Amino acid sequence: MRAPLFQRILVSAGLGLLLLWSLVPIYWTLATSLTPTIEFNVRPIHFYPEAPTLDHYLRLFGISAANIGGVNTASQFKLALFNSIITATGATFLCVIFSLMGAYAFARLEFPGRKVLFYAVVATLAVPGYAVLIPLFRIMVSLRQIDAYFGVTLIYVTAYLPLCLWLLKGVLDSLPRSLEEAARIDGAGHIRILLQIITPIAAPGLTAAAILTFLGSWGQYLVPLVFSPKVTKPLTVMIPEFVGKAQIDYGLIMASGTIAMLVPCLVVIFLNKYLISGLLAGSGK
Amino acid sequence: VSSANVISPRLRQQGIGKSSDALLGFLLVLPLLVTMVGLVFYPLLATTWDSFHRVNPMQQGTPFVGVANYTRMFSDAEVRQSWGNTFQYVALAVVLETVFGVIAAALINQVKRGRRWILAAIVLPWAMPAVVSGVIWEWIYAPGPGLLNGVLLALGFDYENFVWFNDGTLAFLLVTLVHVWRMMPLTIVIVLAAMQSIPKDLYEAACLDGASHPRMFFTITLPLVRGAIAVAMTNATVYAFNLFDEAMVLARNSVETRPILIQIFLEAFKKFQFSYGMALSLAVTILSLLFSLGFVARLHKSTRLE
Repeated sequence: MRAPLFQRILVSAGLGLLLLWSLVPIYWTLATSLTPTIEFNVRPIHFYPEAPTLDHYLRLFGISAANIGGVNTASQFKLALFNSIITATGATFLCVIFSLMGAYAFARLEFPGRKVLFYAVVATLAVPGYAVLIPLFRIMVSLRQIDAYFGVTLIYVTAYLPLCLWLLKGVLDSLPRSLEEAARIDGAGHIRILLQIITPIAAPGLTAAAILTFLGSWGQYLVPLVFSPKVTKPLTVMIPEFVGKAQIDYGLIMASGTIAMLVPCLVVIFLNKYLISGLLAGSGK
Repeated sequence: VSSANVISPRLRQQGIGKSSDALLGFLLVLPLLVTMVGLVFYPLLATTWDSFHRVNPMQQGTPFVGVANYTRMFSDAEVRQSWGNTFQYVALAVVLETVFGVIAAALINQVKRGRRWILAAIVLPWAMPAVVSGVIWEWIYAPGPGLLNGVLLALGFDYENFVWFNDGTLAFLLVTLVHVWRMMPLTIVIVLAAMQSIPKDLYEAACLDGASHPRMFFTITLPLVRGAIAVAMTNATVYAFNLFDEAMVLARNSVETRPILIQIFLEAFKKFQFSYGMALSLAVTILSLLFSLGFVARLHKSTRLE
């Protein structure tokens, strides 16, 4: 079954347009981050850097402080990068561990109220984060967790727990029980079964859950805008502030944007299979 | 070493294992439950309760005000405009993402080799922070050195210094475009997965009957992915209701592009009208749920027929 020639041309042209639409903005970010500031004044504009430079990156990391509003920006940037890594990684670990423990209990152990509890937690998938934002703010103020790593990390955890729990319980439900039963006959307890049998088999599901939590937490904006105003400010809050300055330094902004999208790009390139399976599980299919 | 480890099979037979299972179950769900109760269930109840009171850190006391916070949103001009904007975002984004997402999925479905890489390229815009895509597109839209004006200039249109965000309607459309750029991959992934699960022999049979490719798309592919399209539309609706980052980065607080979430953010954290903000956020939550339930109901109908 082969499509006629003109149809194949049509498909290729459509695919080409689709790829351009997806990738041109990303290419343009990368290209801009390598373009010397002087070239921005050239008209008509160049579609690629004529004399590529790492100047913006060097300034961003404070290696060269020339042509910049001071070393201040560099130290702020490094702190923001650190904050993003800490909160997103912390949230990912906590979320995956909590949801794996929960999924095992909900899938394998009998205890009163397990059905109700499971559905109550999963139902919060339908509750958008902003619905609880204002009371959360008051709670965090009273717990002194405004501008603190722990508070904001826990908020990210609650945002992705229901999704991860749903995903991992699905994985556990689909696993054959024979291995576990054999282990139990050999005298293994639940904790050992969870650590030594379930965790390795469920690794793809755990990876999918970890990717979704990490990418989601890495990209958060509204939550840190409210809860991380100063010391714990992540990249997502810092980058738009560059734009607000009187003298807009697009080279610097695009270099920081490139760094912020580097991690997601690596995940998509190397772990796309898990990401797609997580997306499909999370979309309610 | 767990307590369950210590219990011998003989004790288990006597029923002690069962109660220790229950205890372990509670212990395992405890961290999850404590976080969810403390940071989701309790705040959700607090939102509901406080939305019927006057809660403002600048004012003493929290008197009961009935539905005043809810009726107020109908007479508030700014809030009414943000509701309007949000509904327009939802309508436009869902239509664009669904139409072009289904076309894109059908195109990718034709690819035999290298589909993995095409899919990776397509998913990239979804994976990056929304704020970063906002900043990228702001630079593309920029007058002067921006890419959009540069391309138009290269094509022979005199757009070099055209300022796209001077016009409210244009600004609104451009913010929507960024949102669609970011969220369409989700529609593509969901619909493509459904397309790939259609048995090949259906197409072979249709081919023997002499059906053309477009005809097969409309009589086989489209009806069989209807459920997936409904799921994708539900997701698109919820995400469009949640639009915040792109509008905030591209147009700050501008009234013409302001979605309801930015309005809530301003009411709560700039004007400190906590309870009014809570009433508004509950209203958005309920509306976005109702809209998505509409799609889910249709989905159930369509799966029962098939």
